Amino acid sequence: MSSLNTVLSFKRDAALKEESTDSSLAGSQQRVRPGSGEFQQPVKPLAPVTLEIKNVEKSYQLSGERLQVLAGINLDIRAGEFISIVGASGCGKSTLLRLVAGLDGQYGGDIVYQGSRITGTDLDRGIVFQEHRLFPWLTVEANILLAFSATDVPKAERRARVQAQIKLVGLSGFEKAYPHQISGGMSQRVAIARALVLRPQLLLLDEPFAALDALTRLKLQQELQRLWEHEGLTTILVTHDVEEAVFLGDRVVVMESHPGRIKRIVPVDLPRPRVRSTLEFQRIKDDVLTDFV
Amino acid sequence: MSIGIRVALGINQADPKFRRRSRLRLAAFISPIAFLLLWAWVAKIELFSPQLLVSPLEVLQTFHELLDSGELWEHLSVSFSRLGIGFSIGASSGLLFGIVMALSKRVEGFFSPVFQALRQVPSIALIPIFILLFGIDEIFKIAIVTKAAFFTVALASYEATKGISRNYFEVSQAYKLPTYTLYTKIVIPAILPPVLTGLRIAFSRSWTILVAAELLAADSGLGHMMQMGREVFRIDIVMVGVVLTGLIGFGIDRLFKWGEANLIPWRTA
Amino acid sequence: MAYSVSIMSTHTLSKYSFLNSARGWLIPVGLLLVWEVMSRQSAENAYAFASIEQIYHGLVEILSTGELQQGIAASLQRAFLGLLIGGFLGFSIGAVMAQWRVADVLIGPLYHMLRQVPLMGLVPLFSLWLGNGDPSKLVVVCLSAFYPLVLATYESLHQVESKYKEVGDVLKLSRTKTFIKILLPAALPNIFTGISFALAFAWLATIGSEILFSAGAGLGNIMMNAQAASRMDILIILTALIGLLGFLMNYLINKVGQYLFRWRNLR
Repeated sequence: MSSLNTVLSFKRDAALKEESTDSSLAGSQQRVRPGSGEFQQPVKPLAPVTLEIKNVEKSYQLSGERLQVLAGINLDIRAGEFISIVGASGCGKSTLLRLVAGLDGQYGGDIVYQGSRITGTDLDRGIVFQEHRLFPWLTVEANILLAFSATDVPKAERRARVQAQIKLVGLSGFEKAYPHQISGGMSQRVAIARALVLRPQLLLLDEPFAALDALTRLKLQQELQRLWEHEGLTTILVTHDVEEAVFLGDRVVVMESHPGRIKRIVPVDLPRPRVRSTLEFQRIKDDVLTDFV
Repeated sequence: MSIGIRVALGINQADPKFRRRSRLRLAAFISPIAFLLLWAWVAKIELFSPQLLVSPLEVLQTFHELLDSGELWEHLSVSFSRLGIGFSIGASSGLLFGIVMALSKRVEGFFSPVFQALRQVPSIALIPIFILLFGIDEIFKIAIVTKAAFFTVALASYEATKGISRNYFEVSQAYKLPTYTLYTKIVIPAILPPVLTGLRIAFSRSWTILVAAELLAADSGLGHMMQMGREVFRIDIVMVGVVLTGLIGFGIDRLFKWGEANLIPWRTA
Repeated sequence: MAYSVSIMSTHTLSKYSFLNSARGWLIPVGLLLVWEVMSRQSAENAYAFASIEQIYHGLVEILSTGELQQGIAASLQRAFLGLLIGGFLGFSIGAVMAQWRVADVLIGPLYHMLRQVPLMGLVPLFSLWLGNGDPSKLVVVCLSAFYPLVLATYESLHQVESKYKEVGDVLKLSRTKTFIKILLPAALPNIFTGISFALAFAWLATIGSEILFSAGAGLGNIMMNAQAASRMDILIILTALIGLLGFLMNYLINKVGQYLFRWRNLR
């Protein structure tokens, strides 16, 4: 319950901030208030908080010295929300995502997912890495099938779900291909399919498009948005691409480094599908960019 | 493949020019044929005494004689059984030991120093000690082949397992792969290519050391046949042995190469 | 980034490294004890398992007669002479093959054909041709250094990226100048790797040829004499010494390589 309050209070803070920028008449700083102006959209009822990140810190021992990577991270994420985390290299955004994934159980504070503290990985939380991390000796199909290893889903259903997932990411016909036979963008789609095939509640994306060329990246961002709307799952995207963060996120969490901490959270109240060329989109993007230049 | 491994295996990765054009492919035979002709000519004019050099045709004739008398088969089968037994014991135990040592910190702590120290001793330098310990019977030859295969394969599989990308283990962690799946689907395929290369190196080392051991102390085997030829000044028998050791080494190396190409349909970028 | 940091942290975590090293000593010390106990069991065992005391006396013995020092000098000399001659020939032929297509087509197949014969298999042949003495051994050692260096030189020169070669074209350098100023320096680190391999092979071939050719001086010959006299103590000393010398040579040549090619960005 307390977490819900935090969200509400945050909402209030954001609203206050918006009002202040409104009154200062700084046009470029202006953000759209929910349900105002030409971008009309239905006000969603607030979904319950599914992930609470409370006072999280993380440090490494580096040749005897303590290196603080994350400090005082507080963030509540509601079910079905799309959160983008942007920051420069080394701000700890990937570390934070790895903690949420449960790849590293050693941290201070609490990350509570659906009521229990995260200490290890879980099939309910899917992750996609910057590199596709497909196994070169398994075909596209076998790579996705591997995700079922720890489940008791029957064989026939596994195959059917893999087929459906391959179709969903638009790779029908490539089931028997080895990773070296398909392009980087296609490999990353397979990796997304592998993460989604278990129908996780939470999808974690660690700079999934950073290694792709600009055109492929645009296409995959579109597709990711489509998939997210299709599956309706909670998603955390870590990226250093501000446009990507604004394009996909309901909220953009801006992080700064030394030690890694949250600088501010920018809500993106634009209707979907979003159009990058609109003035409002550019305003929000420029606003976030002011944190980096 | 690093230049070191390529040098150890004798692999040309840079495409030799004659392979690129079919017209030049025939040219690849020029020098070996010229070599044979030169050899035949030098033998014919008896530039050296016939005790030192016989013509290729005579070598072929001796080969036929040895084959017909069944003597050659006897030597070959003895050599092959020694090689087969020693290599399979050494390679399989080396494979297991290398993987276990790479995965278990405890085993590594206990065995790594001994392993690294013993590894420095070349197999050929162990021949005298092995003769003293095991006598000059079969056990000695099998033991020396086993030793050569064991250390080479153990090192290759140890380094291959240590070299498995941490990324792979993270993905396995994320999908909570059961231990059995982790080994069959991830660890074994990941180390297969370098381990096959290791087996290939181990084989050529085993073959060389066996020939050396048979030259020194044996009453049968291809090496022994050459040694006998040397003692009775039958250069033709020696040369049959030289050509055969070369051909056998080459043939089995090709077999491993074929295995590498056909067992591994994927490519690691 | 975070990944590399976490790797380092496991390094600093190893405050139990003293425990690990103690573990590492456990097996050698254990083996030594077993060996020692075995040597004291019976007269028969004392012959196969030389006691530590015997080994010490053996060491004093071959040191005082000067046999060991002579053997080390002879073997090292053979290895380095072989490396020098065989290596130089190998480098030249490899370079010629990489530079001239005709040479590549003519020499390449012959080289690969002859290389198939295991070196030790050539021993009976050389023994008939050149006798059982130093010339035969030297030829075997030369060949052992020759084969890897042909390949390493040829491969390394081929591997030089074409963008470097294009610089030579742009600067209108002659063929010789391109080779000396661009190709060779770019290929040198890899060729050096080939040299370090050639050294290891030359050392192996030295010991092997000394064991197989009976006449002359060298560590391998001392070993064969010791084996004939059933002197396990001396065999153990020499085997360990051969391993140690091989390790030291490998260590030194790697250090030299690291120093010479410190400009190269490894990884």
